[in-house]
Amino acid sequence: MPKFLCLQRSFPGGGQQAEKPSPAQMQAMYEKFNQWRDKFRDNLVDLGGRLGVGSIALPEPPPDGPLVEVKELVGGYMVVAAPSLDEALQIARGCPGLVRPGSGVEVIEIKTPG
Amino acid sequence: MSELDTQFFRHEYGRLVAMLSRRVGVHRLEQVEDAVQEALTTAVETWPKSSVPENPSAWLYRVALNQLTGGLRLQTRRQKLAEHHDFTGGEVATDVPHAFLAADVRDDLLRMLFACCDPAIPVESQLVLALKVLCGFDVREIAERLFLTEANVYKRVARARSRLAEAEIELGEITPEELRARVPAVQSILYVLFTEGHLSSHVEGPIRLELCDEAIRLARELAEHPISATPETFALIALMHFHRARMPSRQDGSGGLLLLEEQDRALWDQSQIQDGLSWLARSAGGEAFSRYHAEAGIAAEHCMAASFAATRWDRIVECYELLDRVAPSALHTLNRAVALAQSQGPNAGLALLAGLEPPSWLLGSYLWAAVLCDLHRRANHRELAEQHRIVALDTAPSPVVRAALERRLHGQ
Repeated sequence: MPKFLCLQRSFPGGGQQAEKPSPAQMQAMYEKFNQWRDKFRDNLVDLGGRLGVGSIALPEPPPDGPLVEVKELVGGYMVVAAPSLDEALQIARGCPGLVRPGSGVEVIEIKTPG
Repeated sequence: MSELDTQFFRHEYGRLVAMLSRRVGVHRLEQVEDAVQEALTTAVETWPKSSVPENPSAWLYRVALNQLTGGLRLQTRRQKLAEHHDFTGGEVATDVPHAFLAADVRDDLLRMLFACCDPAIPVESQLVLALKVLCGFDVREIAERLFLTEANVYKRVARARSRLAEAEIELGEITPEELRARVPAVQSILYVLFTEGHLSSHVEGPIRLELCDEAIRLARELAEHPISATPETFALIALMHFHRARMPSRQDGSGGLLLLEEQDRALWDQSQIQDGLSWLARSAGGEAFSRYHAEAGIAAEHCMAASFAATRWDRIVECYELLDRVAPSALHTLNRAVALAQSQGPNAGLALLAGLEPPSWLLGSYLWAAVLCDLHRRANHRELAEQHRIVALDTAPSPVVRAALERRLHGQ
């Protein structure tokens, strides 16, 4: 089954200043996430995580122009297995808290030889 | 273990805030709450991906403590830099978390509860603070439960926090004597918390029941601690269980309020009544007779009566007399008049009220008018009954109360 890289992307405007969830809301999020995970247990290859600090190894001489670091755009990643891009997109969309104001998910097929 | 208790995050919030506040001082409550929020967020993000740690509480405590000490160190460094001093290290110990002994956690929780009941904090702020830091409700949730605006709740929390910040109280340094002296205030705040969930003038929903259950939970913690395991605490718990038992029957299918005589007693929760009875038995242990004993006695009589008609009203009259003696209030006299009218007829009730000069808050309330209407109606004083009926309906605090009054006080 093809694998897909899911990148959580932050969009400008909204989401950043959202109110912190209350403990009861966190409980609900936790339960929803578990349900989602159980439902797609067979598809979730790597639940990944949030991206932290990073550093880029640059060639000599370094390239011209301003470098946009990926972590400026991408908040986290995971890998899912699905028969098609569409189905992978459905799985990623179902992940609680991923697609919301100010955040979305980009799903990219991981090409493997053969 | 991947199944967590349904209230896990909320109750863990309370436990963690209490444990960390004891460690770094309750004057740092705001930073403590931020650290706990962060730890819970981390748990939500990571536990479903790996698994719930073997000891989730210890895990959360460690994460929150790291977060907190990191934050505090940073703050210290900034302060020192501003004062042109060298940074010499953290001011907070970071040794391994102390053992998660139930007794220690309970002690921390209770110390936090006692801190919330600081006499310098206005009572309405005490209640809001307890809901925030011990029950883990956020400002929006508290506003919804107490029928307040969010701005008002926020203001109350801020006032309480700033008072705690000023005082720099070390929770661990509160002496047993000081704790003992504050027990009545703690009991009283739990009583208020329970009453908020139980007020008949508001429509009951699951979120109101939650307030009652939180009050019972904290009161039971109180009963487990040597300092507050007193007959008054036991009586308070008994009282709560008796009222809680009757709550499922207080509403009809469409949210209307049902009067005691209309309630289906088969819906009363027998296990709550049994709990109430065993706490009531424990409460009889000492010399003390408190208002909680009297109120628990009254609630027990109602719970034990097979029907409205079979209620031992004479016993209830006695309990109201005792209640009026330990906690004098015209409201208690009014209730006694109702019970007296049930046991000896409406004129006996009216005679008792004739000797009472009600304070203005009671005189202007629907309760006073409704009782007078009912007693006059039963004594066949039609004109007086009608006068009071109009006042009662006009002053009813909510449509559900008004509907119940209309049924009860219908004309002849």
